Amino acid sequence: MSYNFYDFNNALQQRNEYVEDRLRDGSPVVGLSYDGGMLLLSLKHSQRKVYEIYDKLMLGAMGKQSDIESIRLAAIDAAHREGFQRSEDDVSVQRLVGFGLSPAVKRVYNDNNTIPLTFRGLFAELNATPADDLYFTLGYDGEFRNTKRYAVVAGTTYASEQAEESLKDAHLGNLEDTVKAALRAWGIARTQLAPLPEKLDEDGEEITLPPTPEEILKTAFEDGMSVEAAILDRHTKRESRFRLLRADEIPAL
Amino acid sequence: MTDLLQPHSGNFAALTGFQLNGLAEGPIHGTTVIAVKYKDGVLTVGDRRATGGMAIMYDKAEKVLSLDDYTLISISGSFSKAIELVRYLRMAFKYYERSQLQPMSLDGKLNELGKLIAGNMMAAMQGIGLVIPILTTFDTKKNEGRVFFYDGGGARFETAEYAAAGSGSTQIRGAFEYIGRTKGPFREMDRDTALREVLTLLEIAADLDAATGGAAKYLPLAKTITADGIADIEEDVLRSIVKTTLAAEPAMVQG
Repeated sequence: MSYNFYDFNNALQQRNEYVEDRLRDGSPVVGLSYDGGMLLLSLKHSQRKVYEIYDKLMLGAMGKQSDIESIRLAAIDAAHREGFQRSEDDVSVQRLVGFGLSPAVKRVYNDNNTIPLTFRGLFAELNATPADDLYFTLGYDGEFRNTKRYAVVAGTTYASEQAEESLKDAHLGNLEDTVKAALRAWGIARTQLAPLPEKLDEDGEEITLPPTPEEILKTAFEDGMSVEAAILDRHTKRESRFRLLRADEIPAL
Repeated sequence: MTDLLQPHSGNFAALTGFQLNGLAEGPIHGTTVIAVKYKDGVLTVGDRRATGGMAIMYDKAEKVLSLDDYTLISISGSFSKAIELVRYLRMAFKYYERSQLQPMSLDGKLNELGKLIAGNMMAAMQGIGLVIPILTTFDTKKNEGRVFFYDGGGARFETAEYAAAGSGSTQIRGAFEYIGRTKGPFREMDRDTALREVLTLLEIAADLDAATGGAAKYLPLAKTITADGIADIEEDVLRSIVKTTLAAEPAMVQG
């Protein structure tokens, strides 16, 4: 049977829809740098969301847990193999995501006989100053992009853009303010999945506004979700820079 | 799927293909290291000398190295193998914790080290590349310091009080017993008292063993492990104690 351009386009569209539908309601992950380190923050029901990958690398992800696991372990394996056979200093997020994970994820996406990975991840690499910190977001199709200082992965591109907009002017010195800003950004990323209609609806009644970030956080906590946040500490003397935050380190909004 | 998406489930040796006996034997050897328990945990010291045959190769060697926040390994014997072994273990422990989302147990860590030494035994029996480490740790579950040593075949022993390894260790073994019986057990001493005894022992080892470096040129390396983790003993504390443990003044000056 011949395979024409329409089939090809259609197949891709269906694969995208399959994944996007499952990611849309996922819990976003916010990455934000401050003087003392970098923070990844999300809200979760029970499964872990933020992971240590290597000495100066961590990952926060949304998607199917099984798919997150396989990418997490692939990242850890690749980083540790490189770090041992060459040097810890040669493990970078650019090489890990750009040359290691992205092509592998893309191969899975391109293979029409497999189910695509339901995954959207945010890799964070700690550097000397907040301005040098790197964030790489990796999608289910293998596409990646990098930003500095902050990044958000969310249910839709629009949502992550809105949340990132709220972080644009953040100049953060301490952890508490950083967590607050990240929580707000999570709320924005969770609610603003698509642009609001600009005008009042036909009957002249006001459209229902989506809940504010504070309201959506309140609802999430009432639903039994809890904050999971981890930092890579810029100045620690401990062996591991990665640390999950304790409950008392999460300020109330 | 691809190679990259097939994980190694925490097995670092399989991931990296590492084998200690596959490494070449370097000519440089480390000499004397000592570990004792004291009131708050464990104290570990090592001289700074590394030798190659009859030559002193290096006088600033670091032979007390951290494996994680609560574990130190003190190395003697083949320097090249020991350094590679430490590098491997440090990363293997981290790899396990990161991939398995829980730290490796103390017993798991001790077995990992034993396996490596056992794997190196064939080379060690031919007289090359023997590594005899002391592993000291603070057991956070039992809330006490613990001291382990290994023989060349990888057998593990836990000691109640002290351990010493390296070329100068046999000369001072009896002195540990003497101190324990006359001055009381090390595990009841405070840090500076234990440190004074141990630095004296190291100085005696340097006097009786040609390969062990004394404190005259470079200060020894001394670290503690307590409930708060690993800490270096400050140089001025070391210096003031070393001044009193060195065999007074050089004989020539005394006349």
